[in-house]
Amino acid sequence: MGCVPKQSSKTVKCKLLMKSLLPLFRCLTSIERNVECCQISVSASSDWVIIQFFCRHGITKTHNLRFQEKEALQAEFASHLCTNVLKAPARLLGDMVMHFPVFQEEITLSATPLRFSLRNYEESGESQVKMMYTEMSLHPEEFEYFHVDVNSEITFCLKELRGFLSFTESHCLPVLVHFDSAGKPVCFSVEDTLFEASVVLATLIESKSTDSIQPVGIQVHATSRYVDAAALRVHACEGHGETGRERITSSQGSTVSPQPDPIPPLPQTQQANKESISVNTSPASSMVCTLLFKALSSEHDDNVCAATPPVLAGYSDEEMMEEFCPKSPSL
Amino acid sequence: MPLSTQSQDDEEHYVLVASLDNARNLSNILKAITFKDHAVFTATPNGLKVTVEDSKCLQANAFIQTEIFQEFTLKEDLVTFQINLTVLLDCLNIFGGNAVAGTSTALRMCYKGYGYPLTLFLEEGGVVTVCKINTQEPEEPMDFEFCSTNVTNKVILQSESLKEAFSELDMTSDVLQITMSPSQPYFRLSTFGNSGNAHYDYSKDSDMMELFQCTMTQTNRYKMSLLKPSTKALALSCKVSVRTDNRGLLSQQYLVRNDDGQICFLEFYYCPDEEVEEEEEE
Repeated sequence: MGCVPKQSSKTVKCKLLMKSLLPLFRCLTSIERNVECCQISVSASSDWVIIQFFCRHGITKTHNLRFQEKEALQAEFASHLCTNVLKAPARLLGDMVMHFPVFQEEITLSATPLRFSLRNYEESGESQVKMMYTEMSLHPEEFEYFHVDVNSEITFCLKELRGFLSFTESHCLPVLVHFDSAGKPVCFSVEDTLFEASVVLATLIESKSTDSIQPVGIQVHATSRYVDAAALRVHACEGHGETGRERITSSQGSTVSPQPDPIPPLPQTQQANKESISVNTSPASSMVCTLLFKALSSEHDDNVCAATPPVLAGYSDEEMMEEFCPKSPSL
Repeated sequence: MPLSTQSQDDEEHYVLVASLDNARNLSNILKAITFKDHAVFTATPNGLKVTVEDSKCLQANAFIQTEIFQEFTLKEDLVTFQINLTVLLDCLNIFGGNAVAGTSTALRMCYKGYGYPLTLFLEEGGVVTVCKINTQEPEEPMDFEFCSTNVTNKVILQSESLKEAFSELDMTSDVLQITMSPSQPYFRLSTFGNSGNAHYDYSKDSDMMELFQCTMTQTNRYKMSLLKPSTKALALSCKVSVRTDNRGLLSQQYLVRNDDGQICFLEFYYCPDEEVEEEEEE
């Protein structure tokens, strides 16, 4: 059919509710059977995204969706600077995560030059008796590409990874995993002739010397753009305080100070304090977020980062903090 | 298969006797109009008409012609009663609702007249069940005065094309807007939901469009909740005729083929939504 795309020179960014968009594409069999052409356009004058299906038998379906807002969150992450890179078919990773219970929130990925494993993660303090521990390990030979320079153990949210893997499995694409030490983001990405997709997840820094969880900085979430690590350090608190308020599922926004103040090195990482350590990432649960906040304050007391402005200034939920960090001094 | 369990006396007292070798030829079509508990049955020499109404805005009629029945005896010109349709359907399906290949339930429906219950004799595999369902004073069905002379727009579509549209309709929309016009968009179904609006356009040249007779551009809105019951009728049918008259009243007529390939009709009348029409969003 004659569906000619009309391009304009302007780049348009907009956000649509998945709830409104998904039902239009839900019935794939009927789409394959009936739809000859689908045209998606954005009305410049009004806030509409127009999705038109030109179907057989002279039937046209037009859906006008209002978009929510025109701002988009930018994820900035330089995967080429990561020390560890793995490549595996999506199926391999999918088969591994399948074994974790559905309610499992976070998992720990552990990589050494000789071994790769995934195990479930539970915050300390949870009842150890009721838990089922699961650990799966793979030999490096099972990967298409396995490059681990630095032993690393990273903990991140499983839910986002599951979603990503089920998408990549359906396309039978190999998944690239870029990661570093705990606290730095991990990136899962795929590429195809038609598209590229990536999910950048924050990882937990866990200090085994103290029981509390150290905070880390920026939350980034899924776009297909990478940013220089250097840029990560430069964001102002105030600006991202706003962005941070946008919570997407279990992710949490935060920023770090521009000053590269060293945070004490953690026992499990072998990396020295790089400047970019000031950029740390945290997994996304509101509980952890408030813990982060508290922990920064305690650093304040310890004179480590005397001039560090508070991260997540918008999230001072004191009650919650008291509950999770009873020993920390109040703000 | 004639049921021999009745006495000859009873036969003479019945004002209506209707028999079907396959009760499904009645129950399937009645399922499509069971959106209310009560229905008015009207028997005339032409056959049986079952009417269900809702809120004075919607009327559904099922027509089962005399020819469909293996026996249809009427001692009066018009026999009418009101009955609980849900109970009637339960009785018709008393041997189990699922169709088992090779078996069917035979039905003999008998009515002695005003004040008497409706008696159903149902037989399957040699087992006979007798059901007596109380009848009520029939309410006068509404007369929408929808006549062909007032029809402004009429289309006949193959049901296949509408089935998909109806299954995809945005249910967050309170109304379904129908636009019929001799010019573009010809025949359009529109919804106005929480996230935006949607339009389904059927071209007059579409091979799904069997008949297209539109004299003027008309746009009317109908409550979505009223239109829902008709989706069952749509699912059963092979063709549907959509007509509007000068008052915006909507008439849908569905052509249904039963198990034996015979034709029955289902008809729905809708009153347009009385709210002030908003500016149409394009």
